[in-house]
Amino acid sequence: MIEVTNVWKRFAAPVLRDVTLRVPQGCLYGLIGPGAAGKSVLLKCLAGLLRPERGSVRIFGEAIESLDEVSLQAVRNRVGMLFQNNALFDHLTVAENIAFPLRRRGVTDEAEIAERVADRLRAVSLPGFEQRLPGGLSGGQKKRVGVARATVTRADVVLYDEPAAGLDPVTSQKIFDLLRREQQEAGATVVMVSSDIDRLLTVTDRVGMMLDGALIFDGTTAEAQGSLHPVVKQFVHGEVDGPL
Amino acid sequence: MATEEEGPAAQTGRAVLSLATDVGGAAVLAARLARRMVPPRLDGPELWRNLYRMGVRSLPIVGVTALFTGGIMVIQAGVLIRRFGAEGLLGWGAGFTTLREVGPILIALMFSGRVGANNTAELATMTVTEQIDALETLAIDPLSYLILPRVLSMVVMLFVLTVYGDVLALLGAAFMGDALLGVSTATFWNGLLDAIRVWDLATGLIKSALFGGVIALSSSHYGLSVSGGAPGVGRAVNASVVASATGIFVCDYLATYILQ
Repeated sequence: MIEVTNVWKRFAAPVLRDVTLRVPQGCLYGLIGPGAAGKSVLLKCLAGLLRPERGSVRIFGEAIESLDEVSLQAVRNRVGMLFQNNALFDHLTVAENIAFPLRRRGVTDEAEIAERVADRLRAVSLPGFEQRLPGGLSGGQKKRVGVARATVTRADVVLYDEPAAGLDPVTSQKIFDLLRREQQEAGATVVMVSSDIDRLLTVTDRVGMMLDGALIFDGTTAEAQGSLHPVVKQFVHGEVDGPL
Repeated sequence: MATEEEGPAAQTGRAVLSLATDVGGAAVLAARLARRMVPPRLDGPELWRNLYRMGVRSLPIVGVTALFTGGIMVIQAGVLIRRFGAEGLLGWGAGFTTLREVGPILIALMFSGRVGANNTAELATMTVTEQIDALETLAIDPLSYLILPRVLSMVVMLFVLTVYGDVLALLGAAFMGDALLGVSTATFWNGLLDAIRVWDLATGLIKSALFGGVIALSSSHYGLSVSGGAPGVGRAVNASVVASATGIFVCDYLATYILQ
């Protein structure tokens, strides 16, 4: 479903170094690693927002780095994404934000749109928030609206960048459980970047760890938890002493 | 960023490179927008929304600026008008200056401060909060959906506001001419209509369309190319206002030379 092969990307310095990764269909893949390891950049490469200098990113069998704008938009219609900053449109209400991807994908039946928006808001425990503006929401509420928007189209591939950043522990766990439930119901392939390792590992099927732009571990969640790789072991278990 | 070790040559080179980057960036943006005009690919509701908030909501500030500018011109010219007994030339002087130069320039600078700066701040905030990226992941072309309606709105509305401002500036001048110098309204308008050519009006309006393009491209370019989070938004707005004002004067010089 998602295949990343020997991908290199640099800005001032290399941020992705020869990354190769395969995420099977229907898998919830957790991407972990310390700050500035290249996780968000890799996620943006998967979304086609950044093009790698070398290597290939294939989604649904399409090498997205070589697609033209029209073909890339066709791929994007099957991808949902939650951004680290939520990226809610400030001038639109909560309902309009959530409905935005539906309208853009040709859904015109207002009753259907309203029903799907209400369903998403119930799923993220924000019923009745339809007419609120993003500026009047707390950080956690914005995050939940972002999740609602990312999942409203039931995309085949969903990318989450720090879905629980800034949330309290209870809300974080609720969000992770919700994302897992959504993924299982839709049969979607999910790549999730999170620093909340303890909760992330309760929902993932597979885990990859990045360090300095390279993927240093790729395996099942159980393998990650039992890994003897000193960096992976230290990071997964949150140990103070170690190579990091 | 300049360092202490850099000599004048290196600093000059850096400034030239920075200028070339920004001018080139705005030119590339203009070319990409032009491609979306044939056939037109823009969001209709966004266009109407921007026409309203950029144009209609600028009417009060442009109106006040224009009225007082017309009055100030008469106050400044009053001493000479009286000394030489040239009351009959007041309408021509006010009209020529307003229509060809002062009207377009002052209204463009006001428009840049109100609309251009706001445009940069909005786009820069959308960029740093990943809203532009979000549009792309929703398979929406940000240039067609977001930028093209804003650029067209700025060009069209600055043109319209210049016509509106010119009229108010002349009304202000006529009022002050009567109140301060005793030049009757009929004398003022006769002087204006006898000496002013359609080309004088057209020159000012051509300039206003050029200024609208400069403000739109500059404010959009700086908004989209922002980096550095919230502090970067402030820097982008500052750079956009400076670049717009500079661009307006450079364009005015060239247009005045060519359209003589």
